Amino acid sequence: MGTTRRRFVQGSVAAATLIAAPAIGRANETPAAAKTLKAVMQGDLRSFDPIWTTANISSYHGALIYDTLFGVDANDKPQPQMVESFGTSDDQLTWTFKLRDGLGFHDGSPVTAADCVASIRRWAVRDGAGQHMFLRVKDISAKDDKSFAVAFSEPYPLILDAFAKAGTPVLYIMRKKDAETDPMQQITEYVGSGPFIFNTKETKQGASYVYDRNPKYQPRSEPASGMAGGKIAKLDRVIWDNVADDQTAIAALQNGEIDFYELPPIDLIDQLEADKNIHVEVLNKSGQIVWCRMNWLYPPFNNVKARQAMLYLVNQNDVMKAAFGNPKYYRACASYFGCGTPMENDENTEWFKEAPNKEKAAQLFKESGYDGRPVVILQPTNFAVFNTADQLLAQWLREIGVNAELAASDWGGVVTRRAVREPPEKGGWNIFVTSASGAAFGNPITLVGHQANGEKGWFGWPSDELHEKLRDKWAKAQPQDRLAVAKEIQRNAWNFVPHVYMGLYLQPAAMRANVKGVIGMPELIPFWNIEKT
Amino acid sequence: MIAYVAHRLASLIVVMALVGVCVFLLLHLAPGDPAAIIAGDNATPDQIASIRAHLGLDEALPIQFLRWSTAVLSGDLGVSIFSNTPVATLIGQRLEPTLSLALATLAFAVPVALVLGVLAAWRAGSSIDRASMILAVAGFSAPAFVVGYLMIYVFAVTLKWFPVQGYTPIGESLADWARHLVLPALTLGLAYVALIARITRATMLEVLAEDYIRTAKAKGVSTGPMLLKHALRNAGVPIITVIGIGVALLIGGVVITETVYNIPGVGRLVVDAISKRDYPIVQGVILVFSAVYVVINLVVDISYTLIDPRIRY
Repeated sequence: MGTTRRRFVQGSVAAATLIAAPAIGRANETPAAAKTLKAVMQGDLRSFDPIWTTANISSYHGALIYDTLFGVDANDKPQPQMVESFGTSDDQLTWTFKLRDGLGFHDGSPVTAADCVASIRRWAVRDGAGQHMFLRVKDISAKDDKSFAVAFSEPYPLILDAFAKAGTPVLYIMRKKDAETDPMQQITEYVGSGPFIFNTKETKQGASYVYDRNPKYQPRSEPASGMAGGKIAKLDRVIWDNVADDQTAIAALQNGEIDFYELPPIDLIDQLEADKNIHVEVLNKSGQIVWCRMNWLYPPFNNVKARQAMLYLVNQNDVMKAAFGNPKYYRACASYFGCGTPMENDENTEWFKEAPNKEKAAQLFKESGYDGRPVVILQPTNFAVFNTADQLLAQWLREIGVNAELAASDWGGVVTRRAVREPPEKGGWNIFVTSASGAAFGNPITLVGHQANGEKGWFGWPSDELHEKLRDKWAKAQPQDRLAVAKEIQRNAWNFVPHVYMGLYLQPAAMRANVKGVIGMPELIPFWNIEKT
Repeated sequence: MIAYVAHRLASLIVVMALVGVCVFLLLHLAPGDPAAIIAGDNATPDQIASIRAHLGLDEALPIQFLRWSTAVLSGDLGVSIFSNTPVATLIGQRLEPTLSLALATLAFAVPVALVLGVLAAWRAGSSIDRASMILAVAGFSAPAFVVGYLMIYVFAVTLKWFPVQGYTPIGESLADWARHLVLPALTLGLAYVALIARITRATMLEVLAEDYIRTAKAKGVSTGPMLLKHALRNAGVPIITVIGIGVALLIGGVVITETVYNIPGVGRLVVDAISKRDYPIVQGVILVFSAVYVVINLVVDISYTLIDPRIRY
């Protein structure tokens, strides 16, 4: 029996139907394109536990599926989110919190105070602000299903700032059984109570991550503002596509294959701005500060004169111009607390008006007793901004007679080597450059780089007793008194120079013109409130 | 033949053992610490040390190697440090896109290259020959990312015939699967067209100068059968060798094309893992692909017997 043409066609149709059958089944469940937002974010989502890792992308994932007790609003003020009411005792030592009605996890279980207590405990192990707070916490316990209390050994007005902070790790509320996981190990189930549900079934790790609207989520009645206010999910589905290549992501945005691109390269922004179908917007107005850390353990930067020399050596505008080109997207910044933050001030910034002053920098290096030894700069060649900053820094140091050596590696190599406390010639280092959100610099407690507690602290290990006392004073100050303390901190900081800033840049995001309602804020990209018109 | 195959398969174990030791040592002795990457920019050195201890990375290298190799011998490639997903699952998820791209590329490159190579040899010195070889040189010289961006600009952004990026599994939609593979296969295939066309031309030129071809012509064999049946078959061994090497390279070396077209294949998996120092993934992928290389070479060697009866194992 031979195969006729008709039988061949029939067979082909049957085979195609069989292959396509799963897709036909799925088509009924897939939300409409108008209610689906496809986004390319800053990188691949490698871990789904936003406490275990401090990667920003994991924190974004957390903001989609988890809710927070408090959230910072557009003015960086903590506002209640899951909390209905809260208060403090007359002696300011005990804070009580009551959860609002209708909070439930995606598995159907209600959110209880016990979940909150376990989540706070796990978060506090990994977060700088949490650690600072827990040095003073005597007890934290659930009073009933909806209330819990935090008892302090001394008044701690920063508690709301710590609970509300948007910088990673954010205090996301998890189920008690997840939150009881060792903070040094990853959770294995991703069930939150936030406005979106993580669709693990349709997520393809390394390729795309799928989030569906939580139909049972009960948003607050206030308008959305930062991480505060009503988190109304106007989209049925959010998909993060992991596109590694910038040019491909831009072409996909131009072609309408994606709707949102978080970090388009600044040198290609002109191309996007010229496209009437695309809208470009800076979402984090406090920008990103590029900063240079010096190793306090070894010469020359164990001497304050050499550190002060760096203030006079760095030309922030040159670094930013080389890295970003368009002055619309960068500026120089002198304030220790970043620029545009509530703590920004101009105390003790005379050096900034003078810099760059290479003669003075050379003189200060000489006064530090610099003996010509190599100064090792860690250079991540796969990180364009830092690579550029490192090369400029090396050149400037050489111009004033410092024997600068660039130690090239990828960023993974830098983060490993910067933790080495050995002398530079034995695998250690003298300088590395990194960046952090401008908003983070506005809080001397939450940014770990603001510590000056020596070898217990962050890489570079600066040490200054007065600085630590002033940080403590700031933590205890009432909100209206904090700026005055911040000025004291800055006056002292620019004398002992824990680090040096290399400029502040504003990273625009690009989106299709029909994407509306993106909430601009530092540290996070919220996906509620967004709609496609 | 059976003894030969058994011997080659036994050598697979030795190759994989050597690869395993080398990869493990290279990764662990190279600078980089997954704990520091996991902890992020805000972590203190103490926190990083604690994560390292939980991951078992603070143990002596021989102990870490022993633990890993014992697990591998029992068929367990380990778990990704970052995503907590078994390495075998991750490789399984990424295999389909990579194999699809490799097969689509071969389906385009091999016929085109054979036609170009045979025509160029048949009309050596003619304009067909020169045009074929210019195309081959261009295919070799143009980097995949340049060809890729040009293809995207012309066929996706301007003409909108094909999507810019992405991959649809064959089980979801056959048409979408094919649409997503056209541009990547053309991009990747150009270099293989060049490689195979040049080797085909060179081998065919040698064969066409043989006495038996002249005899065939004298006996009145027409051009088509003479080229395909008499000449191409006898030129087959080196061509198949090159195609075999190409298959191995295609499976393991398509990183740039996968990146430009955003195809979630094995190439991108391993590059991402290297940048994050996700040791179990890198070790697992390299181990699996060393086995694939050996098997492909074995298949190529066996295929010689099919086209040249003089070859015996």
